[in-house]
Amino acid sequence: MTALRDDDTLYPEIEPYHFGRLQVSELHDLYFEESGNPKGKPVVFLHGGPGGGTDPKHRRFFDPEKYRIVLFDQRGCGQSDPHASLVDNTTWHLVADVEALREYLGIERWQVFGGSWGSTLAVAYAETYPDRVTELVLRGIFMFTKREAEWFYGKGTRVLFPDAWDDFIAEIPEDEQGDLIAAYYRRLTSDDEAVRDAAAAAWSLWESRVATLLPDPELLRHCADPAFTLAFARIECHYFINGGFLKHEKQLFANLHTIQHIPTTIVHGRYDVICSMENAWRLHKGLPKSDLVVVRDAGHSAFEPGISRALCEATARYADL
Amino acid sequence: MLPSRRTLYPEIAPYDAGHLQVSEIHSIYYEQSGNPEGKPVVFLHGGPGGGCSPRHRCFFDPDKYRIILFDQRGCGRSTPHASLEENTTWDLIADIEALREHLDVDAWQVFGGSWGSTLALAYAAKHPFAVSQLVLRGIFTLRPQEVLWFYQEGASSIFPEAWEQFVAPIPMGERADLLTAYYIRLTSSDPEVRLEAARAWSTWELSTSHLFPSAEDIHQAASDDEFSLAFARIEAHYFMNQGFFASPWWIYDNIDNLRHIPAVIVQGRYDVVCPVQTAWDLHKAWPEAELRIVDDAGHSAFEPGIIHELVEATDRFADVL
Repeated sequence: MTALRDDDTLYPEIEPYHFGRLQVSELHDLYFEESGNPKGKPVVFLHGGPGGGTDPKHRRFFDPEKYRIVLFDQRGCGQSDPHASLVDNTTWHLVADVEALREYLGIERWQVFGGSWGSTLAVAYAETYPDRVTELVLRGIFMFTKREAEWFYGKGTRVLFPDAWDDFIAEIPEDEQGDLIAAYYRRLTSDDEAVRDAAAAAWSLWESRVATLLPDPELLRHCADPAFTLAFARIECHYFINGGFLKHEKQLFANLHTIQHIPTTIVHGRYDVICSMENAWRLHKGLPKSDLVVVRDAGHSAFEPGISRALCEATARYADL
Repeated sequence: MLPSRRTLYPEIAPYDAGHLQVSEIHSIYYEQSGNPEGKPVVFLHGGPGGGCSPRHRCFFDPDKYRIILFDQRGCGRSTPHASLEENTTWDLIADIEALREHLDVDAWQVFGGSWGSTLALAYAAKHPFAVSQLVLRGIFTLRPQEVLWFYQEGASSIFPEAWEQFVAPIPMGERADLLTAYYIRLTSSDPEVRLEAARAWSTWELSTSHLFPSAEDIHQAASDDEFSLAFARIEAHYFMNQGFFASPWWIYDNIDNLRHIPAVIVQGRYDVVCPVQTAWDLHKAWPEAELRIVDDAGHSAFEPGIIHELVEATDRFADVL
């Protein structure tokens, strides 16, 4: 196995041994890749946003000698086509895509790993196909309840980051600020490219400024790239305005009984101000057999040292199951 | 790498200490340390009800400052202990003036954090010519939304485990207004009931006051019954009475009285007791004051980045009249 040294928080960089595309609907064509050990334990990585796309660094949460690591870009983002499309783009389309990819790759069951929106999608997938999931590794928990959405876009985060919030709402005229998400949605779906881009930049900046415990210039640069921001902001806002396409806001909690048997680790940063610690606490209460790891010196990002170390430890623990 | 940070000045003993009878029932403890010929500064502690400790002397250069600490009515070494009678913001402001006259000080620097910042602002608005500079930390202006954030909904999302302990002693039916529920118990005629409520109240605040709370600190402070009782009772008394201000925005409405006073506002980004929002609102109402947000700090005055900014501020002001 590839051992994680004490001062490492991620496994070494690796290249995929296989990548390809899967046509999942008339319109949507997804990018996927496999890395690590082709005979290893399968794991699928579910990225955040929605609309965030995958990154080569996402391969590094898994021991490449033990895991067959599957990454894919969800509809409309990363290298999937059509870029930034909102058509046929819902939670349940994505759940079906995860299942289609599993079948396409001839995988019987796999570990499901996801943070932030990736944790939402992981739980939605596991509740739909509980027999296909060997373990769940979840980070920066978000179950798409109203309370959680309001924390980030209204009541909570702004109290701790009022300076960043002022910049976020400055994009929207005062008479539209009563419903910020709707105001942003109008701009993000505008016919005017300049309007879309400006809204996408402000939307993404808000999130990236509050994603790490300490300001992270590298993350800010990445999140300012227009190729990233348009898909990220449009798709995220589309999901938010539609309440995550849940039948009711507590749907994912209501169905937790279907996944109690799945070994689960929950990793959450104490100072995650995007998805507050309370989200993880509530999920842990709903999954009493789960392991909860609270990282005292971290925010929301997957790549703060305490978080990535805890995630790697979880996948290492599950590697031989 | 961060440039090295300033640390506290060495511990010193007072050269003078005494009690001042400020009303028929209240006698307050005060002390002077540092240089008797130095620049006078008065330290206003938090809570209300927190009292002073020897470490509070160490924010000031003892060669340059005449450092005056006192315990506000009902706490620390002031008597009667934990008394709520004749204990209001305006009584405390009168005490500060009485102490200034007693010590024959013309004008002094006023230094206060948390509730100490509330008191400093209200004092400066009432007696601007007695104040040479203001050094404020962990800003609190006692508006209803600030009290609700900490005692009803807000900080609860970031420290859900500690919050569970805080609400545990209160029956479900009373949890819609936790402040009132606690006040009833803290002013109960049964000393057991008072003490149990005081311990839980203080534990909640101590569990959330540092970026990295230590179980040891929390336990130590919460097991000091005398401290907890004064702290919890006096805090709840002030919060139930909206700080005895005529309106929730009293400080902002009177800000013009003190805008000419040189001031530094030091605020921890992850202060969940008095979140940045208040410092930001104050900054907008009073742009002349210098706002220093410390990225890696919570509420406590003793967080390394907070100490750095406070000592820098008092040093900068040390040679100014």
